[in-house]
Amino acid sequence: MKLCTGWIALAYLAHAQDFDRTVKPLLEQRCVRCHSGDKAAAGFDMTGAAGFARVLKPGDPDASKLYQHLVSGKMPMGGPRFEAADLAAVANWIRSGAQTSKLAAPKKSYWAFQPPVKSANGKSIDDFLLAKLGEKHLVFSPRASSRDLIRRLHFALTGLPPKDDDYKYTYAETVDRLLGSSAYGERWGRHWLDVVRFGESDGGEHNFERFHAWRYRDYVIDALNADKPYNQFIREQLTGDLLAPNDPQMVAATGFLVAGPWDSVSAELNKDAAMKKTARMDELDDMVTTTFHTFQALTVNCARCHDHKFDPIPTKEFYQLTSVFGGVGFGTRQVVTPEDKNRYDAEVKPFNAELATVQKAIDEIELPVKARLLREKLIAFDRARAAEKFRLPLTPVFSRNRFAPVNAKHLRLAVQGHQGKLARIDALELQPAGITLSNWTAPTSASVDKPVYINFDNPAARSIDAIEWATDRTNGRNDGIIRVYALEASDDGSAWRSIAVSLDHISVNEIEMPSVSDAEVLAALSKELQDRRAALHKDRAEWRKKIDAIVPPAMVYAAKPHSIEPAHLLERGSVSKAKEEVFPGALAALGHRNGLFGLDGKADDASRRIALADWITDTRNPLTARVIVNRVWYFHFGNGIVNTPSDFGLMGDRPSHQELLDWLAVSFMESGWSLKWLHKQIVSSKAYQQSSAMNDKAFSVDAGNRLLWRMPLKRMDAETLRDTILSATLSLNPARGGPSFLLQKKGDRGSYIYAALDNDGPEVWKRAVYRFVVRGGERIFMDSFDCPDPSVATPQRSISNTPVQALTLLNNGFVMKQSERLAARLAHEAPTPEARIKRAYQILYGREPSLNELDAGLTFSRQHGMPAYARVLFNTNEFIYTP
Amino acid sequence: MTRRQLLWEVGGGAAGLALAQLEAEAAPRKPGTHFAPKAKNLIVIFLPGGISHIDTFDYKPDLVKHHGKQTKGENTITPFFGKPGAVMRSPWEFRQHGKSGKWVSDLLPHLATTVDDLTFFHSMVTRSNAHGPAIFQMSTGYIFQGFPSIGSWVSYGLGSENKNLPSFVVLPDPRGLPPCGVANWGNGFLPAEHQGVIFGDEKKPIADLRAPVSDPVQAASYDLLSKLNEEHLGANAGEDALAGRIRAYEMAAKMQLSAPDVTDVSKESDATKAMYGLDDPVTRAYGYNCLLARRLVERGVRCIQMFNGGHFGAPRINWDGHEDLRANHSRCGAVMDKPTAALLKDLKQRGLLEDTLVLWTTEFGRLPISEGIGEGGRDHNPEGFTSFMAGPGLKKGFSYGRTDELGYKAAENPVTLYDFHATMLHLLGIDHTRLSWYHNGLQRRLTDVHGHVIKDVLA
Repeated sequence: MKLCTGWIALAYLAHAQDFDRTVKPLLEQRCVRCHSGDKAAAGFDMTGAAGFARVLKPGDPDASKLYQHLVSGKMPMGGPRFEAADLAAVANWIRSGAQTSKLAAPKKSYWAFQPPVKSANGKSIDDFLLAKLGEKHLVFSPRASSRDLIRRLHFALTGLPPKDDDYKYTYAETVDRLLGSSAYGERWGRHWLDVVRFGESDGGEHNFERFHAWRYRDYVIDALNADKPYNQFIREQLTGDLLAPNDPQMVAATGFLVAGPWDSVSAELNKDAAMKKTARMDELDDMVTTTFHTFQALTVNCARCHDHKFDPIPTKEFYQLTSVFGGVGFGTRQVVTPEDKNRYDAEVKPFNAELATVQKAIDEIELPVKARLLREKLIAFDRARAAEKFRLPLTPVFSRNRFAPVNAKHLRLAVQGHQGKLARIDALELQPAGITLSNWTAPTSASVDKPVYINFDNPAARSIDAIEWATDRTNGRNDGIIRVYALEASDDGSAWRSIAVSLDHISVNEIEMPSVSDAEVLAALSKELQDRRAALHKDRAEWRKKIDAIVPPAMVYAAKPHSIEPAHLLERGSVSKAKEEVFPGALAALGHRNGLFGLDGKADDASRRIALADWITDTRNPLTARVIVNRVWYFHFGNGIVNTPSDFGLMGDRPSHQELLDWLAVSFMESGWSLKWLHKQIVSSKAYQQSSAMNDKAFSVDAGNRLLWRMPLKRMDAETLRDTILSATLSLNPARGGPSFLLQKKGDRGSYIYAALDNDGPEVWKRAVYRFVVRGGERIFMDSFDCPDPSVATPQRSISNTPVQALTLLNNGFVMKQSERLAARLAHEAPTPEARIKRAYQILYGREPSLNELDAGLTFSRQHGMPAYARVLFNTNEFIYTP
Repeated sequence: MTRRQLLWEVGGGAAGLALAQLEAEAAPRKPGTHFAPKAKNLIVIFLPGGISHIDTFDYKPDLVKHHGKQTKGENTITPFFGKPGAVMRSPWEFRQHGKSGKWVSDLLPHLATTVDDLTFFHSMVTRSNAHGPAIFQMSTGYIFQGFPSIGSWVSYGLGSENKNLPSFVVLPDPRGLPPCGVANWGNGFLPAEHQGVIFGDEKKPIADLRAPVSDPVQAASYDLLSKLNEEHLGANAGEDALAGRIRAYEMAAKMQLSAPDVTDVSKESDATKAMYGLDDPVTRAYGYNCLLARRLVERGVRCIQMFNGGHFGAPRINWDGHEDLRANHSRCGAVMDKPTAALLKDLKQRGLLEDTLVLWTTEFGRLPISEGIGEGGRDHNPEGFTSFMAGPGLKKGFSYGRTDELGYKAAENPVTLYDFHATMLHLLGIDHTRLSWYHNGLQRRLTDVHGHVIKDVLA
């Protein structure tokens, strides 16, 4: 502590104490990590008195740089701003003289890196919560009504509303019933899929579908329903393909690693080596980031370009982690034993041969007709475009170029590029001179550097103004088609000039070309051929059916083997600035195990990932259990004990009840890492069973309800809303698992846009968790209700409230159709208008209507009909906010 | 309330935040500027696919001189498809225009008449040579998918000026959504009210805007709903979220009335319609969007993001002229040029350009060499391209930065997208270092941890 002498020291004593108690911890936690030591940020070392003085003007906060930066939000750089109360403390301290004492950089004392220990101060969730409430002279709210509690449990544990019969069970019975139901895994699986950014399309430019990604979704749901121990759940998601390479479920578990967006364009098409390398680093970054967000609530990705600004994570460790995943790539893999694969191939082979024979016979009928019709259309199209600047694209059935008349004795066609091994021409004519060529095949392959020439003699120098040719007029096949050419003329046979080139043709990508439809082909066939064609098509369908009937090896979108490149520390994250090689390892700061795994660059994929799984699931890891306990808590209470569920670092939130968090974390591990045990602990607490009524006194003390003086009302999330509406109208399709149903579909003709489908109906009325989740798809009903695009992880969803959302719930076709279905259900289940309204209240709210509500309902439905009434009820606050 | 509590309000939803934004009530960050803004509205015109700088506004006479020659050395770029061809001159002639004497190619005769109002950035650089990441960077500041878009940042930063219309409206190209689709106007981790709202064609301006029931039924439904909700609120006194949702429905009712009004252009004069090309089938659909953009600005919509160019597919409907630059840019230019110029002129003549900032941009430029051998296209160029701004607070008829003699790379004052976005926010009265949102351990910003306001372009 800085020494003060005389009366000044006495005068400032009170303030100095204030500093130590209030301001100092803030600065130590939030500022000193960067602003200390030799490499202090901006050369400003807060731990040295000299540096500190530079930013303080005692007595005048507004003139003090420190305060200015905090108020403006410029500092702490990259972290959450100081809260108003903290700012006030800083201002007071400066105003009253800015007395300081020696600051220390936070070292290993940071709470989240210390192993959790069970405190002796409590034996239950309620003990810990009540103790903190008591400090503020608060208590729990009274127990909620049994109706509310049953509703609360159903929505929380299954994401579905209770049915009539469900209200008759006791609270404890309900807890057990729901945790035992498969709807539990569907509900909590959806929460998990948010955290791990699970999507079923690549995202980005090409945004390809991942048709086999659903197996990871099913894996998660099944694992939760089976109450798979959480440590095993982690292990399988990191290494399932290594533990059981022939088990589709276990391989699917590693869908976790590749559930995020993937830039296939940069990975596969880009020819720029540096860009390609960067794209691979982005892939590894995504795996590392998600693994550490999800299981450790640490933002290791910050260390890609520089040492982590706040947490003790050096850049080197980030690259150690990329090396852990060096053997993992993105893609679909067949999961099968070699024997099963051989068996399948052998079984399918004869059918495929049959199929090929049938296809050949179909082609013999269809292709010539198609080629003839297309040629007719192209000739007409070309004529119609006579005034256009650019010629039609080159096609196998018709290619034509025109030019100003030329009279030259020597003409030649320089073939400079083509498809297939050798260029071909089945007929060519120089018009109008009538110089022709037919059935020509190039002697060698041609290129720009080594063109193949076709010479035409024109001794009379007859005029030509067009060249027309075709590669394959009979069948329209592309083999041998000329792509690059120049038609050249010469008067003396030695000096050549170009008169027409392939550049004169518009690219096929820039024009809508004529095509021939199946119906046109059919119409052009004789009756006999039509019949033969129909028979062949039928044969083809049958062979295909037979092939489909043989169950193919499971296809799984999951971690796919990737060649392991040496990992290097990259300065500033740049692939062009590779420094020393690094080896598989994790973080030293957690201290529970060696940060390095004792592996070298030759280590195989398995030993790398298994070492990380060991490191994370080690019971001494200070974060693993705390993080999952906090996530589950957050989804139940709307507040986490730590309110940044994917960031337990210095920039994250501090636990509101650390003893409780630690007690739960340790008990959770003792329970055998059982999530169902954890749920039961939480929902059985008095805290959970409180009423959600407002309490002005408590609100004035703790507006954010961090201390849990009540259970907050919850707005349904998008999936719950959709499922609940479908459930209320008895429309919910109970089918579970399997390939996802589509609400958006990728366009054809090379489009990468997912258009919203107009396909509302029973086939898509499964639970929303089974929806095919695309990235960047056209808007659907659920988007208005904060259903996240899975391009980034969403540990916490926003709950927004907008006019557009109101319009969606009022006017969307889905709601209209369900309103009619609810009206139909009411008509079926209740005989009178009054009974129908009562029934509606029972179904939607689980209660009787008041007299007022009944009257209003009767009046409205008499005038505007029951569907319109049902629509209003779906829009009420009471429907969408659950107790 | 403290910040953390507010954070929870967002995460857990105890407050009607959307309304807070619209009504300028308490919010994590109160909408508002950091300093006096030059502009209060923003129009972004995005030309996906990559419009060529050297065939439009970046005049390179040396291309003619070196036409047909191979380029070598460090001043070259590996084309995306890895097929370096020879230097290719522009198929269009260049001429000087306006008092500023700006060189513009004959591809854009109409925009050429507006150059004295424009501020060109000729040294733009972006981080990726692939469409996806480059588009994301232009639209969101990050090369990865999922970050909040420009418009959502502006909506979050400035709030709305019109309670009856969304604060961020998107006008996709009538030929189709742009590449990467809705990610271009997503809210990312910002609350959903900052999501861009698509205004579709003239008949169906906003999804779900039209009531599927008759007007009297709709009105009665709003009445009954409000009655039931008020009664429910009575039993749940003090719940801001419930009160907020009641107000959202009141606004929805107003929006149902005001949105069709803004999208109906029938009362515009014939001269105006002709100016925007509404009388020509080539320009009609995009021209309508340009006219609509002006009408939205007039009504206080904070940000409008327009696209000229759709997604990939065949035939191509954006500026990605790989094989056939002439055909591609001719066709796209015929659609884009006249209506865009009309929008700029119309904004100016109505005085709207005094408080509206217009951005005209693309994800990257194109290479001075042809793609492959003997072909007439140009591949992607992330290391030098052109964008322009128009609006208050800018030096007009001014060109900033330059590329090398062939247009390969930014050779002077390179402008990163971070700088470009920082400058844009600056003109809107926002300090780009202070517009942030906490997400997964970081205060995120539009400009990541980078970006400098380009002072040299400011008037």
